[in-house]
Amino acid sequence: MSAVVETQDLHKHFGPIRAVDGLSLSVQAGEVYGMLGPNGSGKTTLIRLLVGLLKPTSGEVSILGQSMPAKEILARVGYMTQASSLYEDLTVRENVAFFGEMCGGVSRGQVDEAIALVDLADRAGSLVRTVSGGMRQRTSLACAVVHRPQLLLLDEPTVGIDPQLRATFWSYFRRLAASGTTLIISSHAIDEAERCDRLGFVRQGKLLAEGPAEELRVGAGAATLEEAFLRYAEGGVR
Amino acid sequence: MNVRRVLVLARRVIRQVLRDRRTVGLLFLAPMLVLALGAILFRADPVRFPLGVVNEDLGSPTLAGKMVLADGIVEEMGAGDTFDLVTLAPTEIEDRLRDGTVQAVLVFPEGFSAGFLANRQAELDLRLEGSNPTRSMAIRARVTEAAMKSLAGLLAGGMGVSGAAQAGSGASSLPVTVKASYLFAGEEFDTMDFVAPVYIGFLALFFVFLLTCVSFLRERSLGTMERLLATPARRVEIVLGYMGGLGLFALVQVGVILFFTVWVLKIHYLGSLGLVFLVIALLAVVGVSLGILASTFARNEFQVVQFIPIIIIPQALLGGLFWAVEEMPGYLQPFAYMMPITYANWALRDVMLKGWGLAEIWPNLLILLGFAALLIALGSLTMRREVA
Repeated sequence: MSAVVETQDLHKHFGPIRAVDGLSLSVQAGEVYGMLGPNGSGKTTLIRLLVGLLKPTSGEVSILGQSMPAKEILARVGYMTQASSLYEDLTVRENVAFFGEMCGGVSRGQVDEAIALVDLADRAGSLVRTVSGGMRQRTSLACAVVHRPQLLLLDEPTVGIDPQLRATFWSYFRRLAASGTTLIISSHAIDEAERCDRLGFVRQGKLLAEGPAEELRVGAGAATLEEAFLRYAEGGVR
Repeated sequence: MNVRRVLVLARRVIRQVLRDRRTVGLLFLAPMLVLALGAILFRADPVRFPLGVVNEDLGSPTLAGKMVLADGIVEEMGAGDTFDLVTLAPTEIEDRLRDGTVQAVLVFPEGFSAGFLANRQAELDLRLEGSNPTRSMAIRARVTEAAMKSLAGLLAGGMGVSGAAQAGSGASSLPVTVKASYLFAGEEFDTMDFVAPVYIGFLALFFVFLLTCVSFLRERSLGTMERLLATPARRVEIVLGYMGGLGLFALVQVGVILFFTVWVLKIHYLGSLGLVFLVIALLAVVGVSLGILASTFARNEFQVVQFIPIIIIPQALLGGLFWAVEEMPGYLQPFAYMMPITYANWALRDVMLKGWGLAEIWPNLLILLGFAALLIALGSLTMRREVA
């Protein structure tokens, strides 16, 4: 197994705020890696550093063996932003096709497939402006996966969607991972974190602890993952 | 009605506006800037027109001795602050008018004095450059005025031409007529014909600028720019893509405006409409790049609107729309030279009023292309700021 995402002592400072503060991360191919942390803990900043939208204050990012920023590698990366970033006056289908084309081109079949996966086939022709929040979220996901990326970065993909859709999303994520796609998913929901292969606790730009959910819980001597997180945050472990 | 609610709402609005410092600043500065520019331009001292004189008048013997009436007229014209006189040889007339070193040439033939004394009628042969109808009219009026004054003084002095004096005092004016000929444009061209070429260009620039600015801003506020930049798309590709898309609308718009001005408003023009279209298309490209660059510095649609008084109106005032750049106060001219629209205006007027072709206007087109390239580069560079 080789590292699909690797960061070395990564720092990103905005003035006095250390959004990412010496973070070293290594995610393997086919892994579903969860980043768990409260709002403002630096998860989004980290993801944006990974795709090269931000320049690190110091440290290195490498993606799929390529040191970032490297534009061409982004054709093999899928990115879903926290708020659905879509063209309101294009249809669902047009949005998906557009982002697919920007990532090096996709076939009609790929677009159909991506839309079917998020169960939007019957609304493919609707303007994004007219569809519900959950549908936007699904469209956003379809846009991120349409070009069949090897690495998928999802920034709080299940925020604000109903439990049923969330379950659909997760079964889809697992299928992607099974087919070799690497996923990095940020979340602040504990129950969701438990579904990841490996978890990283993030707080104030630092990686507090890393490992499978169960290991982290046992390691902290906690009854629940939530409790484990709090213990690590207080510095009570190790 | 609940007054308290109204007051609370008013307080909230005030707080929001105050928080947008740029808006507050512009609220006061922008009108002052625009007013000051207007004041400077309206109050600017009229420039002196370079006027060529070809004086071949041999004069005519009178009771008081030999008189050369042309000399008197020339002296009168040189005395005011309207003209800078340049003595020319007859062979130079067309070249000097063409290269713009004189705006008009007044020609006195050998028999000017003799003709006046014999017919009591002076016909001034005025050759005008013609491409600025307003200026042509002003020159024509001032030349006539100077000639009348000079001849009136002569007659009032009673220097042996009393017959003419009687004839003159009876009539409302002295018998001075101007026979004007035009190198460019012509007598039928009016101020609208002078303004129209530039108007077309300005409108194209204005709308394309706004359209681009707002589309780009929307791309940013909806987060799609962030998504776009996380694809292999390079910034310069994004800029060029916008140019291709919005440029198409700009071209259609230009076509419609041209059709309207030429066939509906029936303005007079010379030269090729194809070339006019090319110049305006170039200006539209500049407009798109300027819009992209500007949108980087706007946080919301409101701030885009604020670009109108600080970017668009100065271009209208200083770019030669109503006032020719050469006639502006010297310290304003460098600003005119910094604006792409100035070069488009020169090219458009050269084509539509002088009938010039690509061979003559290419330097201006080249400068416009340079502006477009520079703005595209700057727009791509500043796009880093897009991602907030």
